Amino acid sequence: MRTNKIIVAAAILALGLLAVPLYFTSTFILHMFTLVFFYIALTAAWNIPAFGGKFSLGHAAFFGLGAYAASILYVKYGISPLIGIFAGTVCAMLGGVILSFPLIRLKGPFFTLASIAFAEVLRMVAIDWRSMTNGSVGLNIPFKPGWLNLTFTSGMPFYYIALGLAVLVILLAWWIRSSALGYHLRAAAADEDAAKALGINTAKSHFFALMWSSGLTGMIAVFYVFYNYVLEPGTAFSMDLFSLQPAMNGIIGGMGTVWGPVIGAIIMTPLGEFLRFYLGTIQQGLNFVVYGLMLIAVVNFVPGGIVSLMAPWFKKKKSGESSARDN
Amino acid sequence: MELIVQVCVSGLLLGGIYALISIGLNLIFGVVRIINFAHGEMVMVAMYLTFWLNYFFGMDPYVATIIVLPVMFLFGVLIQRVIVQPIQSSSANMKIFATVALSLILQNVALIVCKGNFRTVQVPYGMSTFELAGIFISVPRLVAFFAALGSITLLYYFLKYSYTGKALRAIVEDHTIARLMGVKVQRLYLLAFGIGCAFSALGGVLLMPFSSVYPTVGIPFTLIAFIVVVLGGLGSMGGTFLAGLFIGVVEAVGGTYVSPALKEAIYFGIFIIAILIRPQGIFGKGKGSEEVGLK
Repeated sequence: MRTNKIIVAAAILALGLLAVPLYFTSTFILHMFTLVFFYIALTAAWNIPAFGGKFSLGHAAFFGLGAYAASILYVKYGISPLIGIFAGTVCAMLGGVILSFPLIRLKGPFFTLASIAFAEVLRMVAIDWRSMTNGSVGLNIPFKPGWLNLTFTSGMPFYYIALGLAVLVILLAWWIRSSALGYHLRAAAADEDAAKALGINTAKSHFFALMWSSGLTGMIAVFYVFYNYVLEPGTAFSMDLFSLQPAMNGIIGGMGTVWGPVIGAIIMTPLGEFLRFYLGTIQQGLNFVVYGLMLIAVVNFVPGGIVSLMAPWFKKKKSGESSARDN
Repeated sequence: MELIVQVCVSGLLLGGIYALISIGLNLIFGVVRIINFAHGEMVMVAMYLTFWLNYFFGMDPYVATIIVLPVMFLFGVLIQRVIVQPIQSSSANMKIFATVALSLILQNVALIVCKGNFRTVQVPYGMSTFELAGIFISVPRLVAFFAALGSITLLYYFLKYSYTGKALRAIVEDHTIARLMGVKVQRLYLLAFGIGCAFSALGGVLLMPFSSVYPTVGIPFTLIAFIVVVLGGLGSMGGTFLAGLFIGVVEAVGGTYVSPALKEAIYFGIFIIAILIRPQGIFGKGKGSEEVGLK
């Protein structure tokens, strides 16, 4: 009964989302939806290591690796981004392999720190390696519309691509969380030593979680870059945009849950854009001050994220239903 | 040959400041057990204070210490009381997030108040050097080095012999037992955070005569300070000092012989190698230091 209802609700939601571009032709609204989907995907990918309690502030590293791999292949060698998607995913995963050394050896805060340093180092390399990356100037994706070039004349294809990515990553995250890997990770998050004592190879679990997370982030990055046409070290490896933002969405929505990142991204992305438009134009930087204050408030008052506020509501509903069935 | 000695000397002198900033972090880290990701921003705020004192009152940066250090001490106490204390018992990730938020706020308040320009203090001795056995030594860097050495020595003796210092060290060793022995833990947290901030502030003031300040100047200092603490080992003053000098030399040598843009890549490499070989720090007090912040 309950699952049927969920399926019906999901179907209505899916149809509604599929129909959005048909009714809203405004590029602003389409762009906002697309951005929300991109961030849902990025946050859900960021969240996978968080199932195991690993908190990364360096996902910009994977984002930048994926983005640069595909755009260098396309701009410098004329290789289609459809192949670039794989290259980007693989490059980001290689970055994940490097970061897995500190991941496995270091606990909590030291891992977070190593992840920040990793992204910063890659940003420096991208600035310095001019022959490949054009340095701080960056790479421009030439405008040659066509599926092979992942370039389109309207925003509609990217709306569906981003929607597809978001759905894909949510489903993967849900699948991972309910698979053996997910249980191992959650056990490690609850108590690493106890999990080890029960025979779980926690290092292996954390490693696989990071592989999923980095690969997915790199893949999303490829699409994101082709959506935006430009790529430069300051944005591709941006701490604010791709390390902090997914982490913020995750924390505010509820870290280590499947739906937390979704809720976080849905709330924070339009809010972030709104703050940037209205406060950012009054005074550069003001939007980040508001962001910071919000974060401190969340950490103090709702440490479990918005999902934790909604949990009792869901539970009540569940128990109400079961009692209804009993009658 | 001459060049390498020259480079090492200037690296050593800069390393003194890194050591100073890192010792502040080490104290906060060890006592309060919080991962202060806003540590570099303390350096930034102190640098701006020094700049404004010089700009409005023509105060010499070294004289400004008298005002900047107490202000930054109180600032640290305030942060501990308002931001850290309420989440003292929550998970390490929450604490990381709160201090990341704090660093975001401080950076952007600095951007709003002071704009993004590079600001420098004009002092007559800013560029002055003297020659010693064929090596040029910058006067403000030398002053910075000895001030760092002096204040670290003072802190060392304070921690070693005074009653409060012993209580602080007891907290580093074991929180619960220190509390059971009647140590006023909460009050000492405030003190440790204040001293930690004042130390990084001193680093900022000493940097001012020969470098410039801008809103994001603090970010590399946070990274450097963490790397130095990891290398030096938690709770080890001497280790932190040596590790600070080491990172200073590495930065100078790497910046000269490899590429100035890649010096952060070199730190990161050292950081990774160090934690792979000895996660408790090269000079660390023993196993378990790397787990700090989790409990």
